[in-house]
Amino acid sequence: MAVGHRQGLRLARLVLGLLFAAGCGKPEAVIKIGFAAALTGDQAPQGEDLRDGVELAIQQANAQGEILPGYRLALYALDDQHSPTQAVSVAKKFIADPDVMAVVGHLNSSCTMPASAIYHQARVLQISPVSSNPQISRQGFDTFYRTCATDDLQGPAAALFIVNELKAKRIFVLDDMTTYGRGLSNELIKKLEALGAEVLGHEGITQGDKDFVPILTKIKSLTPDLIYFAGMFPEGALLIKQRKQVGLNSLFMGSDGQFDPVLINLATPQAAEGIYLTAIGSDIRQIPSAQAFVTAYEAKYGAIGAYSAYGYEAANIAIWAIQQAGTKDRTAVLAAMKTLKDYPGIFGLQNFDQRGDSLIRDIGIFAVQNGRFTFIKTASWD
Amino acid sequence: MTGLNRRIAGWSLSALAALALPLVYSNPYHLDVLTSALLYALLALGLNLIVGLTGLLHLGYAAFFAIGAYTYGLLNLHLQCPFWLGLLPAALTAGSAGVCLGATTMRVRGDYLGIVTLGFGEIVRIAFTNLDRWTGGPNGLLGIDHPRLWMPGRGIFDFGVSSAPYYYLVCVATAVAAGVCVRLSRSRVGRAWIAIREDELAAACAGVPVVHLKLLAQGCGAAIAGVAGAIFAAKQGTITPDSFDFVLSVMVLAMVVLGGLGSIRGAVIGALVLGSLPELLRGFEQYRMLLFGVAMIVVMRVRPAGLFGGGRRHARTA
Amino acid sequence: MSSLQLLSQQLANGLTLGAIYALIALGYTMIYGVIQLINFAHGEVFIVGAYAALTVLLLLGPAALPWWILLVLCGIGALGACGLLGLIMERVAYRPVRRAPRLNALITAIGMSFFLQNAIMLLYGATDRQFPSLVPPIRWEIGGVTVTLIQIVVWVAGAALMIGLQALVMWTRLGKAMRATAQDLTACALLGVPVDRIIAVTFVIGSALASIGGLLFGLTYGTINFHDGYLVGLKAFTAAVLGGIGNIPGAMVGGLVLGMLEALGAGYLSSQWKNAFAFVILVLLLLLKPTGLLGERVAERA
Repeated sequence: MAVGHRQGLRLARLVLGLLFAAGCGKPEAVIKIGFAAALTGDQAPQGEDLRDGVELAIQQANAQGEILPGYRLALYALDDQHSPTQAVSVAKKFIADPDVMAVVGHLNSSCTMPASAIYHQARVLQISPVSSNPQISRQGFDTFYRTCATDDLQGPAAALFIVNELKAKRIFVLDDMTTYGRGLSNELIKKLEALGAEVLGHEGITQGDKDFVPILTKIKSLTPDLIYFAGMFPEGALLIKQRKQVGLNSLFMGSDGQFDPVLINLATPQAAEGIYLTAIGSDIRQIPSAQAFVTAYEAKYGAIGAYSAYGYEAANIAIWAIQQAGTKDRTAVLAAMKTLKDYPGIFGLQNFDQRGDSLIRDIGIFAVQNGRFTFIKTASWD
Repeated sequence: MTGLNRRIAGWSLSALAALALPLVYSNPYHLDVLTSALLYALLALGLNLIVGLTGLLHLGYAAFFAIGAYTYGLLNLHLQCPFWLGLLPAALTAGSAGVCLGATTMRVRGDYLGIVTLGFGEIVRIAFTNLDRWTGGPNGLLGIDHPRLWMPGRGIFDFGVSSAPYYYLVCVATAVAAGVCVRLSRSRVGRAWIAIREDELAAACAGVPVVHLKLLAQGCGAAIAGVAGAIFAAKQGTITPDSFDFVLSVMVLAMVVLGGLGSIRGAVIGALVLGSLPELLRGFEQYRMLLFGVAMIVVMRVRPAGLFGGGRRHARTA
Repeated sequence: MSSLQLLSQQLANGLTLGAIYALIALGYTMIYGVIQLINFAHGEVFIVGAYAALTVLLLLGPAALPWWILLVLCGIGALGACGLLGLIMERVAYRPVRRAPRLNALITAIGMSFFLQNAIMLLYGATDRQFPSLVPPIRWEIGGVTVTLIQIVVWVAGAALMIGLQALVMWTRLGKAMRATAQDLTACALLGVPVDRIIAVTFVIGSALASIGGLLFGLTYGTINFHDGYLVGLKAFTAAVLGGIGNIPGAMVGGLVLGMLEALGAGYLSSQWKNAFAFVILVLLLLLKPTGLLGERVAERA
């Protein structure tokens, strides 16, 4: 028995020693921008897109000279594995590092939400590029900002388009039972009903599921004009493909989680032809102020992903705030951020409301034509 | 006498070291990692009662963790129940669930029991995801209060998102649980559990009240998970159903098995090592589950009793 | 669409799903029959079959040969990969723990499952992989019910394999040896039956069947993911228990019944509870009637 806990103590000392060693870093004159997203697992491609955007921004900033006298800018990327628990862990890691002046992240709303409390307590500026759940900015954290439109806008925008442009009256709504999907579908249904459309049903599917033929068969028997799916592209692609299999010919509209070229491949171009999508933002290629970014990004990384531009924008705003602050101090950076007005970003002039939400609230409507995404219009949401 | 004194001295030293740690070393990230590992240790202690001592294969332990977390979360959000009061209901609901599950599966034998408990774990998780009117669905519960403690000279102290208070909380919880487990395992109850594990039929013939003891084991084990769940909910502030999946159940089981079935020490150390490993191996997390799998296969082959097990013969579980 | 048509359509959907479940369930049931082990990693074997077929297609190119030749080649690829995998699994991981307590064997199986799942993830990536649609998308409307060529392929392949297995088990010497080993391993060993080899063969055949299930799965749904093995595997295990574990015709019946129940449940009750539904069936079965529909066939244990 006595031997046992001596062993235990030894082991504990070993573990502690390792942790300590891992914690000690070499001192460098850097200012770090923390970046957190899912870099492994099912959302890894989206996370990588974001990181590429952030990396490009930092690289361009460094090329223009020192961010502050004597300091260069570095990217500190951590993987939150699309797990809220990991997100908290990552957030604590960032705030423990004195070189981190701002954080761009996270990707998923379910991760951004708990992490935001940590950044708030540590008074670290947090800019989320694409987390669209409205509740995050309703917590009253003055450290939280985001560069994307929120789901409570995407839903009504889609509803207006469905009712006014597509003239659909009978709609069946599906979502993937996630924070994002369910929140979005609830907003959509509220607006659809306010507009007088008939919502035939609202059901959830499980992420990772493959077989939607039974639910689609049931939907077919209800003869809807349009099916809306709030979710991500793996399930979206299967729904689009299988609806053709069961002979369901109604219109199909998806949310921004399906706005990825892979969707068309997985669903087969024939089945995907004619479907509509909403996206959080207009087509990046149509915005004149974004062309320089498009060229630079494509030269370095290849095709632009759906989220790359947001990573770039968020990082650039963080860099601007650090420069405005003039010193390596988190409180100063935060104070500088509050003075942001008409920032010339790639989406146009950026401004944020008191909750931290971006005032650029474009929702883009896209359609699949000839096997590719085609921009239809920028939707209005009121 | 000397042995006992040495033991007391040893435990006191470890306790002092543990308590003094945040004062010397205040990196909140590292403290957080250690806190998580200790929380795993708490879970491992609970599962050890069920799987290690009593020999009941359980693959759905995460469900009790979830039940405890949601109990405190819901009580806090709807009734403003403070954390300290919420601990007891969390333990009770989880414990009752454990007893109910135990009662329904009383006659199910070894490997089938594993599958039934797995099914139970998944059903609970899916239920928490789908019943969004009560549980917040996939969003989970948001804005759960952190623990608040009245401290002399400081007034009401809210734990917030700092790391040190939770470290102390989990340390104390784990120490208490470990103490309870040790006392139990050395008592008649513990010996009876081991008897059930070694040979249920013989134990019954020898007069061991098998049914009651099985229920006790599952109730206690589940209750410990419930307490851990409440602490987890209070610490995170938000809980989502996908934190309580089958992978978590297997990880806790792996900690118990690798540490040595039935060994209290083994469960704690197994949890500390395996629980902090992911953070130490940051950069290799893609390989984490792979290594887990390999480790489980290898340990079963090479040292089936686990690191600290052995000393007692392990026979059939069913 | 009339309610009878709707019902028929859902049943047809369920039959396809059920055929795939049945093929995987057969492996579970056979392995449990001989060594009383729930091969947790069997679901992974199934998805390895799908990935093996995908690899064959990636190497050859989806348009290189007529589709039915490609199909056969994929089948051979899947069979080979999974047969080998089953053999290795049995030899390396399961044989050493055959005499160990039940818990150890199960933990080994879980470890193997984790290992395979993550190995696939590392090799092929964590995102869905597209499985090229080999079979031409031809559809027929029969009395309002839509039937696709893919579904026919699944039904025919499934039926052929099941009949073939039943023939093997009932009418060949090997089959007799397998049945005998399942009934009483020790007696067989004493009588000179090469039980180790029989068990290895059982693993190979079970894995081979699952691999074809994987190929059909990839064909039917068009995307595969490393995580599919876990969920489909569990449902197939439910099917095996439903039919009576150890009972080969039982696994076939169980698979078809479960597939249809799932389709009907998703179509008429609720899609989001679909998986919980399967788990509930599993739990209720194990609690109330663990012997299943056709009765289990396992060795008597003292």
